[in-house]
Parts: sequence; structure tokens; C-alpha cells
Amino acid sequence: MPMLLFDTQYLKRRIRYSIDNKRLRDQIFKLGMEIEKLDEKEMHIEVTPNRPDLFSAVGMARAVRNFMHKGNKFNYEVSGDAALDIRVGRTVHRIRPYIAGIVANNIELDNAAITDLMDFSEKFCSTYGRERRKIALGMHNLDAIKAPLEYDAYRDERFLPLGYKAEMSFSDISRESEKGRRYGIEAAGFFPALKDTLGTVALIPVLNSERTKVERHTRNLFVDITGTSEYLVGKSADMVAAMLADMGGGIRRVRVKYEDSERLFPAMQRAYIKMQLSRIEREIGVDIGYNNIISLANKMGYEAALLGSSIRFTLPAYRLDIINEQDITEDIAIAYGYDYIAPLKILSAQQGRLDKNTVLLEKISGLMVGAGYSEMMNSYLTNEGENFEKMRLKPNAVYIRLRSPKAQSLTMARTWILPSLLRNASLSVHEKSPQRFFEADMCFSMNSKAKEEYHLAALSADSRANFNQAKALAEAIAHALGIKYTIERAGHQSFIPGRCARILVNGRDAGIFGELHPEVLYNFKIEEPCTAIEISLDALFAKRQ
Amino acid sequence: MPIIRKEYTAFWSVAMRRILHRYEAAVLKALENETRLDLEGLLKKTGMGRDEALWSLEGLAKDMLVRFEKQREKSAELTEEGKRYAQAGLPEERLIKRLHERPIDVSGLIGEEGIGLQWAKKKNYIGISKGKAELTEEGRRSYGKRTEEGVAIGELAASADAYGRLAERHGLISELERRGLLSITEKRRIINIGITERGRQELRLQEAGRDHANEAHASQQRLIEAVDKATIAGRTWEGRSFKEYSVDVNVEQKDIAMRHPLRGIINEIRSAYIGMGFAEINGPVVEPSFWVFDSLFMPQDHPARDIQDTFYLNEPRKIRIGERAEVQRVRKAQTESWRSGWSEEIAEEAVLRTQTTNVTVRYVKGILREILKANGRYELPLKFFTVGRVFRNENIDYKHLADFYQTDGMVIGRGLTLANLFDILISLYKSLGMEVRFRPSYFPFVEPGLEVYAKIPKGDEWIEMGGAGLIRREITGLPRKSITVLAWGLGIERMLLLRKSGIGSIAELYNNSIGWIRNQEVL
Repeated sequence: MPMLLFDTQYLKRRIRYSIDNKRLRDQIFKLGMEIEKLDEKEMHIEVTPNRPDLFSAVGMARAVRNFMHKGNKFNYEVSGDAALDIRVGRTVHRIRPYIAGIVANNIELDNAAITDLMDFSEKFCSTYGRERRKIALGMHNLDAIKAPLEYDAYRDERFLPLGYKAEMSFSDISRESEKGRRYGIEAAGFFPALKDTLGTVALIPVLNSERTKVERHTRNLFVDITGTSEYLVGKSADMVAAMLADMGGGIRRVRVKYEDSERLFPAMQRAYIKMQLSRIEREIGVDIGYNNIISLANKMGYEAALLGSSIRFTLPAYRLDIINEQDITEDIAIAYGYDYIAPLKILSAQQGRLDKNTVLLEKISGLMVGAGYSEMMNSYLTNEGENFEKMRLKPNAVYIRLRSPKAQSLTMARTWILPSLLRNASLSVHEKSPQRFFEADMCFSMNSKAKEEYHLAALSADSRANFNQAKALAEAIAHALGIKYTIERAGHQSFIPGRCARILVNGRDAGIFGELHPEVLYNFKIEEPCTAIEISLDALFAKRQ
Repeated sequence: MPIIRKEYTAFWSVAMRRILHRYEAAVLKALENETRLDLEGLLKKTGMGRDEALWSLEGLAKDMLVRFEKQREKSAELTEEGKRYAQAGLPEERLIKRLHERPIDVSGLIGEEGIGLQWAKKKNYIGISKGKAELTEEGRRSYGKRTEEGVAIGELAASADAYGRLAERHGLISELERRGLLSITEKRRIINIGITERGRQELRLQEAGRDHANEAHASQQRLIEAVDKATIAGRTWEGRSFKEYSVDVNVEQKDIAMRHPLRGIINEIRSAYIGMGFAEINGPVVEPSFWVFDSLFMPQDHPARDIQDTFYLNEPRKIRIGERAEVQRVRKAQTESWRSGWSEEIAEEAVLRTQTTNVTVRYVKGILREILKANGRYELPLKFFTVGRVFRNENIDYKHLADFYQTDGMVIGRGLTLANLFDILISLYKSLGMEVRFRPSYFPFVEPGLEVYAKIPKGDEWIEMGGAGLIRREITGLPRKSITVLAWGLGIERMLLLRKSGIGSIAELYNNSIGWIRNQEVL
């Protein structure tokens, strides 16, 4: 979840209502967010990624203000003529097709406000914008722009990027700067960029120009928003416009002209959802009543009106996460307060029961503990070295392999349990002997498909360990489980030649046991002789074919 | 207890005839003509080991057959350093010798000379001015003389008996010990061992007992050691007593074969669910992304699906999704709600599940078809759960793991509410001895959604356990009214950490050293 850092004083100023830290923490918790740190200077809040409207101190303040019923603002409508035109060229369509713009006049910026705007932009683009791939925004000093603007994909050219001392070409930025390498988009020598009559305003979605830099004395802002989804670009423009309006900016529209159509941003159209009160009450499980529902809706920023027996909710223009009624139900539940929802028993006569695998594994575990074996629980993941090589085996052709594991020691899903138990034994060499452990759990294999099956493996490290012990245990287990079996001599690289046998059920291989080869023990740095058993429970209980 | 034992012993010593163990007999025999033997003497005379002799003496003394005295004896031995100084003189003595010629720059005095400097200064033999050490009046006076300690270690080096004399000189020995020149050990000796009159009687009886005529009588009197078949069937305990065991003896640690502590809590969770009428289900670990992400309404560009966080597989690379109708529904829900394309190829990418919700959601899809077909005749609510491993692509170390356990549960029913969900979670944690609270939160597949926090009654730390909520209708495909599905997914290792003190991290649970398992408590 995105972790946000706000200037505490700025946030409080934006709430425009005196609130102490304790109350602030409480309100924000009730809204569903955790304050990790809060002092007079700064605060850290974790916000769920679906709420970019809370990624700025301005947006957070709005939510708190609404929640406390302190000057709710619902309507951010914008009208009037476009203050600026952006013409969209033909070439950019295949690379990054959509753009929206916003103009905010007479905005007052101080250092705290600029920091908040920049932090917001960074968080929004990296999380919601998926590292700017899906959506990105740039802020400019409108007064430095000479209209009209043009958005298209251009061949390589030079401009002075924000924060640089010398001009750079698009291709240099894309290949050499850190941002260029991370975010740069290039298609057959073309780069998406925004230009005015004086030259490049921004290399999209990488860097703005130094010329249009936003500073403390900037009074008029222009914001560009580009992306791959027309809907989200438009909705994001609404969200940013609401934020700038809250900061005191006079929002003016921007006209985006495609070859055959044009759009005005921000649209600030508010959608309506009509719902029965009873339906909300039925999903939350509380009685709310018509008297309270409007006020609860207002707390969450919705305008609401009674229409007969249903409620008409007007969705805030700045919310990007509301899909349908279910999202409103949740917001009403939050406004009502999770702490006030009284738990309610479900009436049901259903009998509980365990899964049949659980029952079997529990019975087998009971047997093994009775035989003096302690239970181990190991990772299902391992590597070829442990699963095969240390066991004196060649990796067999197919098994489940991980694609890009971060940990080098995890490259595959284990095909058997014994190597895990040997690792346990190697950690226990200084402990008192004899040592006996077992694990009854999952193993993985591949034929045409991935196969998951349960195995039972047992290991006994004992100075008096011998083949007969292993055989006695194998037979005792099979007998206790009521399995008809035969035993035949087997050759297996992990075991001592002549001290290894196979257990067959209905003529099919169901497992192996014997004395482990000293080289295997050496490989695991184990100092006592070991006997071992590994049985496939699936094969043990397989139906006769 | 102590009183009973005393009476018993008294009874024993008066009423019982003592049957001597062969060691005890040997000790009595050896003491027959001795009056003041010490332990070493006794060992030499009997040829017994120290432990057997001590054991015999304690037993015999308890029954007043022998007497002896215990004595503590100190002995002193010079340490390596002490021995060296005994030869070469104490460092401060050597330093005085050097300083007598001329003052010396302090900075050059290191090693033993440094030690000398410390002590000479402490004893006021020297003073330091402007970085140079020079002798004081006192120092000049002591030139050519040996210090008290110097003399003492000389004597100690010459003869071990010197310790006795020196010990009377107040403070000297302890000073030497503090300086690490002398090591003092305390030994417990047993001296003045002698046989009592009673001992002699017993010895005579014992010897007389060798006569065949007394044999039967003696054996009848003999204490029962091991109870065997003959003891029981022959009722041979009648009229005899049993040999006592000491309850204070240090016995060898018994290693009990144990279940794994994590299995303990998993089984407790299962019991809690069963008690609440839930049925357990199981499902695949290796899945197409579809069942782990897409069917749970997670957009295909969701960060949790990143290869940085999820284990994708090279083998198998893709897994076909059989359920065609389901694929169509998911495609529709995803494209409409997230306003982006949806690719079946991406949904086929094989992963190790990152949550056990794949099991419950598969089950819900299957059972909902039946429920809807039954047209209101299906008995609801239906409650089920699963417990299993989940995987995250992590750098593993002593704190972080790549696989761990999770439990998912769902309830399908008519008109189920958030309040019902709260009740289930509260009851579940209550039966595990924990309290819970809820905070609104966001997960793509539930709405309303919440995070579950738990703590133990005495604790004050709320730990996040997982998420819960009402499953979105985009996932169930259910019409607006009618049936709702409650769902939750909770971490298991965390519950164990919260409940069991002494487990430092989750990774510790998977180390599985036998020593660790053997020391676990099961409650």
C-alpha cells in the first residue's frame, strides 16, 4: 500500500478547522487508514491504492473535513469557454493516445503547497499510473506557455529539461537519464511530446521543460495528463481539478482537439446511483433510517437525496474507485462506523467436518508420533542441489521450476520430502541421538501437467540404524493403514546398494526405504547412520487399475 | 512431605534390618580396623571409584552405620603470571629499579611495564609529571627492598604450605587473587571416616548371613528392587519392603516425539471452524493466474501480480483454464469495470498461489451453479474453509520466508450482512483466545472490505491478521438481491507468534532443528 508523507501543519491548515493530533488520528483511522507516524512536523499514512484522491494533503483534508461535517463541498462544476487548446497529432495515437489538460488561475503556492503537489504527482504516477505506463501527469507554469499546444509523437529533438543546465535530445534523455530509462517511450525513432509555439513543453511521460517550471510565484497552472485509457485520463483530470479548486485555483477548461472530434476537460460530470435504503441496511446488517442516510452519505462526500423509498447518491467527481452500488454500501458502512456495527449470529444447522485428506494425514501423523518420530514442517520450495545432487541423483527432465525467484536457494518445488528432513537432521547434529522425524505433506511433479501429491517421509538418525529398522517401520505403517503390499529389492542412488527396498501396492511403486548412502549423509554433514522411508500416499491409496 | 519422609526414615532405621549392598559391605569391611580414614585412603583401600564410595558412605551414614566429617579445604596455586613474577619480581619492583636510574617517559611503558606503572602509582611509589614517571620519597625508600606481595609470591612458589601461613595475613591473599596472580580453589574433603558400633553389628550379621542356614531368612528380609513376574504372581512382596528411589536425583531428559507447533495452531483453527459448523475444503497450490487473480477481480496490471512478488513458473509455463463460461464472465467483468483489455494468455500463466482464496473461490463458483439450479431449495447458509500454504517471491533470511500458511473461509447465504461477518470473525478468534477489531480497507474482490486486527487479552499490540469482506457480485455473478457471500483470508503464523512468547520470527518456525522442536511447549 502506498505510504504517504504529509506536512502536518499544511494538512491541518487545509482542514481549515482546529483539530488536535489525537482526533486527527482517530478520524483517519475511521476512514480506513493507518497513521504510522504523527508529530508536529510530519505524518506518515498508509492509503489503499484505489484512492488516489487521498494521495495529497489537500485531498486528505477534504476527506477529513467531510467526515467531520465541517464545510462539505460536493460540487466542483466548471463551465465557460476553454482557456487553452491542445491539438492532438496523428502519430501519437499508437504510442500514448490520450491527453487531458486543466488550467487553474490565481492559485497561491507556498513551499508546502508545491511539495504536496509534487509528492502527489509522484505517488499517483507511480502507483495508480503503474510507473507512468498507464497514466502520468505534468504541472507547468501557464504563463510560460505560448498557446496553442500540440501533442504528438516527434522525431528526436533538443530542449532544456527541468533541472538540467544544458539542452538534451529526446533520445539522450531516454537512454542516459535515470527517468528516461525508467519511463521513456520510443517507437521507431518517435517520442511522445507536448509542444507550444516556442518549442517542447514536456517529453511525455518523462520530463518537463525548465522553461515551464512551477515555482512559488507561479500564479497560473497548467496540468497535462496523458495515458492509455481515455476514461482514466478524463477521470484523473476531474480529480486533479478538484484538488486545485480546493487550493483556491479558478479552474478553466482545456479543449483537446483530435482529428475528427474534440473534448473539454475537466468534465466534472457527476454520476448518480439510485439505491433502496433497505438494500444498504440489508448488506451492512444495521438499521440506518431515512433520517440518517443523507448525513452519512455527506460524510463520505456524496450528495444524497430521497426519491420515494430510494436514495439518489451523487458521486463526487474526484473519486476514481466507485464502480457501482457495492462501493456506496461500503462508504455508508464506513461512515456509520465499523465499531458501531453489532455482530450478529448466523443461524445455521450445518455440521462441521474435516477434509478427507486432513483426516488421513492426521491419522498418519498420530502413527508416526506413536512410533517416536517428531513432526517437521518444511518449505515446499527447494533447489536442484538439495533435491537431486546432494541425494546423488541427476535432475530428472521435468519438475516444477520457478521463473525469477529472488532467493537463489529457491528454484523449484520439491519432488520429495526426504531432502528436507536431511536438512533438518543436518541442523540437529549436535542434539542428542537417536533423532527421528517425519513429515506428511505435499510434493510436486510434472508429467504433462503439474501434479500435487501427498507423501509421508521419515528419517531416523541413530548409531544403530539399519535396514531392518526401516523395513519394520514401513511394514508397521502399511499394516496400521490396512494396506496390502509387497516388498522387493530396489536400487536407488540415495541408498546403500543392497540395503534398499521398494514397497508395491497393487503392483505399483508406492515408496522406497532403506539405509541412506554415506555420501548423502556426508553431503548433508550428518554424522550418524540414517534409515529413511518415503511413501506416496496417493499411490498407497490408489484404486486398483 | 518432609514430615512423612522423616517418620518413614525413623521407622526404617529402628525396625528394619539393613541389607548391605556389596559396595556398602566392602566399605564397612575396609573400615573395620581403621579409625580415622579419609576418602582418599578409603578409595585406596577398597579400590572403589569415587562415586560408588560416596554413594555407599551417604547411605551407610544415613542408617548410622558409619560416621565421617566433611571439611572444606582451600588450596592456592600461582597463576602463570604469578609464577613469572615469582621468578622475575613484580612489575612495580622492576619499574622502581629502572626509575632509580632516571625518570622515564610514560608513553613508552607498555605491556608488563604498563602494569608496573599502574601498581607503582597506586602504591604511591611514583609520581607522574609532564609525562615522565619518577620515584616519590616512598619509592626511593623501597628501592632495593621486596614488596610484601613480592615476598609472598616467592614463598608460595617455593612451598604449597605457605598458603596456610599467608592466609592469616589480612588482605594479602585476596589482593594477590584480585591481581590474578593466585588462583584459590576450594575442595570438599571427607575425613575421619569410621565405623559405628551398629556398623560393626551389621557387618557381623552380613558375614554371618553367608552361612547357608541364614540365607533363607535374609532373602525373605531383602528389599525388593525390581518388581518382576515372580514378585507379582508369587506374591513375594508380602512381608517385605521395597527399595526406595531418591526423588531428587537428576534423571536423563526424556525426548517426547512432538507434533510441530505450527501444526498445533493449524489444528486448533480447524477445531474452531468445525465447532462453528464449517466444512473443510482443499484445492490446488499450482494454479493458472486466473484462479489466483483474475477470478478475484484483480486487474491484470495489479502490482501484486508482479513477478517481483509472485512466483511465476517456467515449468509449467501456462495452465489451460477449463471453465469456458467462467472465462467469459471474468473477461466481461474485468473489461467493463477496469476499462482495460483482458488477456486470457496472461490469465493462463502458471503461478504458485499467493493466497488460499483460489480454493474458496473455485468452490463458490461450482456450488453457486448448483444453488441457482436448485432454485431456492438448496439449504443455506453454506459454510466452508481451507487451510494451506501460500507463496511470495521473497528474499529469504532468518526473518522472511517464501511460503507460509493462510486460512480462507466463506459463507454463502441469503441476506448475509457485514454484521454476520463480524460475528464469525469474533467467534473464530475468541475460540483461539484472541480479541479482534476491524478497520475499513480495500481489496479488489470484496466490498465492503476490512482488515482484521487481533490481540491476546493481556497484550496491548494489535496485529494485522488479514482481510475480509462481502464478495463483489462481479465475482459471484449473482443478481443484486438474494444471495451474498462473506469471505476472509487470515495469516496463521502470526497467530502463533501472538500467542506463543519466545518465538522470535516466523522463519524460526520452519528451521525445524530437533533441539528446537524438543523444547517446545504444546499449550
